[in-house]
Amino acid sequence: MNDSRSIRLHYLFRAAVLAAFALYILHLMQQDALHYYVAPALARWIRLCPVPLGLMALSLVIQALLGRSQVLCNCDHRLPAGFLKSTGLYGLFMLPLLLGFLLPDKALGSIAAAKKGISLTYSAMEPEKAIPGASTVPNKSITSAPTNRDTAVTFETTDPYAKEFAELAKLLYAQPVIPVYPAIYSETFGAIEMFKEQFEGKEIAVSGFVYRDQTVGTSGPFAVSRFLVQCCTADATPFGIMVDPQQKLTLPADSWVKVQGKLKVVSQGGKNLIEIEASQITPIAQPQTPYIYTSADSVAAWKALQKDAAKAK
Amino acid sequence: MTTLSPFKIVPLLLPAAFLIILLVLWLPERIELLDNVYMDTFKTSFVGILLEALPFVLAGALLSSLLQVFVPDEVLSRWIPKKPIPAILFACLLGVIFPVCECGMIPLVRRLIHKGMPVYVAIVFILSGPIINPVVYGATFMAFRSHPDLAYARMGLAFAVAFLIGLIVYVTVKKSPVRWSMERETGGNAHLHAARGGRLASVFVHTSDEFFDMGKYLIIGCLLTAGIQTFMIRESLSAIGGHPLGSYLFMMGLAFALSLCSTSDAFVASTFLHTFPAGSLIAFMVLGPMLDFKNAMMLMALFKTKFALYLFFLIAACVFVGSVLISVWL
Repeated sequence: MNDSRSIRLHYLFRAAVLAAFALYILHLMQQDALHYYVAPALARWIRLCPVPLGLMALSLVIQALLGRSQVLCNCDHRLPAGFLKSTGLYGLFMLPLLLGFLLPDKALGSIAAAKKGISLTYSAMEPEKAIPGASTVPNKSITSAPTNRDTAVTFETTDPYAKEFAELAKLLYAQPVIPVYPAIYSETFGAIEMFKEQFEGKEIAVSGFVYRDQTVGTSGPFAVSRFLVQCCTADATPFGIMVDPQQKLTLPADSWVKVQGKLKVVSQGGKNLIEIEASQITPIAQPQTPYIYTSADSVAAWKALQKDAAKAK
Repeated sequence: MTTLSPFKIVPLLLPAAFLIILLVLWLPERIELLDNVYMDTFKTSFVGILLEALPFVLAGALLSSLLQVFVPDEVLSRWIPKKPIPAILFACLLGVIFPVCECGMIPLVRRLIHKGMPVYVAIVFILSGPIINPVVYGATFMAFRSHPDLAYARMGLAFAVAFLIGLIVYVTVKKSPVRWSMERETGGNAHLHAARGGRLASVFVHTSDEFFDMGKYLIIGCLLTAGIQTFMIRESLSAIGGHPLGSYLFMMGLAFALSLCSTSDAFVASTFLHTFPAGSLIAFMVLGPMLDFKNAMMLMALFKTKFALYLFFLIAACVFVGSVLISVWL
């Protein structure tokens, strides 16, 4: 298919598709909705994309409108032949644009959490019994004598990789009510999980969305959860802490709540899990950034956040 | 040669225009039909995965076009060692200097092959590049903080598989397995410099060609992945985790279906640390970047179908055997 007119048409269509993609990204940036889809580190690169997309669209338009006919050639048969194939190709590219523009931007919720399987434990840190040949893995939680709660509770670990969590755990334990800051959410969760026996009985305040097992109704135990995103929604992993509401409450799934209560260790399915015996459950508005991300240095972040909190007071 | 004359498509244009107008007027009012929780989750997953891949595909396409326009054909063949073993080692190390995400890799490699890179070297690069680089090593190390041996195992297996497959392809494949459209491109060079706007404009035109070529496979891959993430339940399959060998196959299948980026799949794998044996997690982390819905489609674009299937089989077999062997050591 060497007809220069059809080549020009194709180029124009392509320019339109590319421009539409650029516009969509700009639209997401303007709505501040990019973070629903990708982690901030990646969002940086996506913000740059409209530039090459625009340049590509521009070049195509120039070729289509001003290019000399004998030069416009489809020798390498890159362009689809026939109306059906063309519609198929451009229709495929229109699909994400249609979905993107027509449907609202929402964060991932309970349905995605149910499909992915919510994590009630911070698995990378658990003592490994399931891994074969793991006899060399050091024991990570050395509990202090349970009777002496008043003497210093130690958070020790022989595992050098868990040092950060041990240090964070020390800082968290010193608080009368442990705040769970979104910036170090997963690390806080991990630290508490690692030393759950020591944290039993401590007060904690955490916010997240309500996740329920499909079989339970709208009242009863639920998990206060957040999605941990590393790269994009494909790897979003839901983390949650079980909450025992202590009272009959109707909370629809995916509603956002702030839970305050005492930490407990319960046994479920042969595993020890942390649970919050809630003394207070307040509905809140969905925060601007519903997802959580890993923090490079949770201890430093904690100190900075504490300082900000003190200043705010 | 058939030409797409506008008069031929008028009979189709009219009903198409009618349909479009109908959709535009009717759809916004009926949007609730689409706006349910499943569609929302599907859309969020789909757009998320697509956006995540977009910068890398654009970068790959751009790099490939720059190579096509500015680098003469013979330069590359001078750099690559002639003997197979050093050439394969060279390809494995390329990933360390060129940490391209697997999405952007295919257009770049297509260009490299055209510029003289032997096919077996290109394949080693495609397989090892997404895994053997400092970024992925760092991410794996972070996700498995308490198990650094898993990070080493991942790198080691990836290297071994890429090396082995490179050798096998070198020995067994004699005819070029690249799709015929690649061969024809030699004629295209003459047109490059005549584009309006000079060489820079032709770079962008070729980038757009690559983008549309690769993009269709990428979008199909993202649709499939998003569909799986929205409609398939994962935890019910944890019973398979107990199976000695079945768990390996399952994790490999999951890696194929999820099409995760090589920097984030380690974290997802770590959530399975208790339900699945370590060897199967290595299989997950090595197969994923080498072969998944997105990659498979793009490899089909690059290579002839028979060779592509042969390659898929080689990858799956080597990863399976390799990860079972490695689990003995872990």
